[in-house]
Amino acid sequence: MEGLAAVALAIALAGLGFWNLIVRRNLIWKLLGLNVAASGAILFLVALAHRPGARPPIVGLGPGPSADPLPHALVLTAIVIDFATLALALVYVIFLTEHRHTQDVERLERDEERGWPQP
Amino acid sequence: MRVLAALSLLVLMGLLALGVSGVFPRPALPPMDEVAAEWGAKNVVAAIVLGVRLWDTLFEILVYAMTMVGVKLGLRLLRWEHAIPPIRETPLLRRSADLLLGPIVVFALYVAVSGHLGPGGGFPAGAILGTALLLLALAKGVERLSAEIHEPSLEWAEYGAIVAILAVAGGLLLVGRRGSGYLIAANVLIALEVGIGAWVVLHRFASSRGEV
Amino acid sequence: MGAILFSALTLALAVFALTQRRLLWGVIGVGAHSLALAGVYLFLAAPDVALTQAAIGFGLVTFIYLLALRRTGKLTVVAVETPPLLHQEGQRVAGLEWEILSRFGRHLHQDVEVLWVTRAEIPRLLRAGEADIGAGGFLPRSEDRVLLSRPLVPTRIVTVRCAPGPLGAVAGDRGEDHLPADRATYEDHRELASALGAGEVGGVVADLLHVRQWILSGEVQPSKTSDQEETSFRFAVAPGEEDVHQALDAFLAELEANGELAQLVRRYVG
Repeated sequence: MEGLAAVALAIALAGLGFWNLIVRRNLIWKLLGLNVAASGAILFLVALAHRPGARPPIVGLGPGPSADPLPHALVLTAIVIDFATLALALVYVIFLTEHRHTQDVERLERDEERGWPQP
Repeated sequence: MRVLAALSLLVLMGLLALGVSGVFPRPALPPMDEVAAEWGAKNVVAAIVLGVRLWDTLFEILVYAMTMVGVKLGLRLLRWEHAIPPIRETPLLRRSADLLLGPIVVFALYVAVSGHLGPGGGFPAGAILGTALLLLALAKGVERLSAEIHEPSLEWAEYGAIVAILAVAGGLLLVGRRGSGYLIAANVLIALEVGIGAWVVLHRFASSRGEV
Repeated sequence: MGAILFSALTLALAVFALTQRRLLWGVIGVGAHSLALAGVYLFLAAPDVALTQAAIGFGLVTFIYLLALRRTGKLTVVAVETPPLLHQEGQRVAGLEWEILSRFGRHLHQDVEVLWVTRAEIPRLLRAGEADIGAGGFLPRSEDRVLLSRPLVPTRIVTVRCAPGPLGAVAGDRGEDHLPADRATYEDHRELASALGAGEVGGVVADLLHVRQWILSGEVQPSKTSDQEETSFRFAVAPGEEDVHQALDAFLAELEANGELAQLVRRYVG
């Protein structure tokens, strides 16, 4: 039950994040959408690792099946890498804002065609 | 273009649904408790992160370090020209920040050291360390905290931690000795690397603007 | 049960965050979403992942977004809809002040975003740092405690009497200063005019621009008008934004010097 609800939530989050990524024109909004989509992907993996009535994958926490620890290990590093790449992406966004004075992708494309404004 | 993107989104979702629907058989779990016992851990995730899938973790740490270097280089090009405004003195906040620094570091260490016995490990410990340092910076001012914790030597400690992780892991792969001592050492080193990296990045972000 | 509750909370927070207009709320919403997601992980028997997600997703990611937001950003204008100064024409924004603000935005190479609010909210939003510039027929008052630009268009505060009864004004507007003890305040000029038409108030204290429109449209037939004071429409600037304030004043001075401001005023206000 929990696993199914979590899978549904994961797909909804991924869809919501990607929709935001496509629709928004501001780069930071796009990154926020990407963030939510990534959390959806991570939740999907964790939900796949879950079995009905599973206990945490720690020895000595009682009987019963344990959740699959392999996706947990995978996801643990993915969260940290998410943060690191987000920091790098934000540096580029700051760079664009300093030098091109906009975070709007359509305006960036337009300026690319017509030549950059002189500050 | 947008239609194409939406269509690929639908295909992606269909693939996800296919994965869940049980069309593909899911493999039975290997006996996890034995794996954990072999590595001297109670938390199977720790045994996998630092043992079975050690290569993954090593390269993940390298990716993290590379990204941090990229952030540092990128922000070095962006200087904030204006003078840094002086921080208003709030003695109560500052004093409590002084008092909090110790317990927070100890808590992060605890999370790292007990990572092979229960939930925790190097990555959350490092994140706790980084966040806590930034919270302190909010109370005391970034530059002062950076001076108090000797940031340049901390950065060297970060690179030292990366080298040490590589050395420990390489030694492990060569010698093949396993045990909880190795897990504790690796967790503490990872916590140092992640925590100092996070603090340095947040500090660069903050000081490239002039304030927190 | 708890898992489903947390899942619903996570989804609701994500939808809340991603449908906001202001980036700050989006960032805060995504942070709260991460925290709720950590709760979902706990129910899925993944305490390690929950701990990491809470520490990184809620702490570090939110911090780094906030720090980046301080460095970037766009001009946010909170305004009262005031034709012909600043108003909506279908999907577009138009008016004299819009002309100036959009040119100023191009001058700074920043996007300009207009949020429609009431007059009483403008100083609060500016002081809270939610917006950079207040506009839309802004008449300064002493208790606003915001920075003010150079005067744009001169105007006058007048009292208009139609019938005996209390006097009304827009809440937070400069006309409120001139109300006697027997008073009534309304949220915006439209409500004020309809209250006057319904006979709730016997007269209004407002600026000449609005009064002239009411008289021209026949909404108000004054029996007696009296001048209160001379003033002028300005832009309000958030107290923390000294840079924007100086840049805006320099920009307005330039417009005034090369005669474009007078040209614009003639075109829009007449």
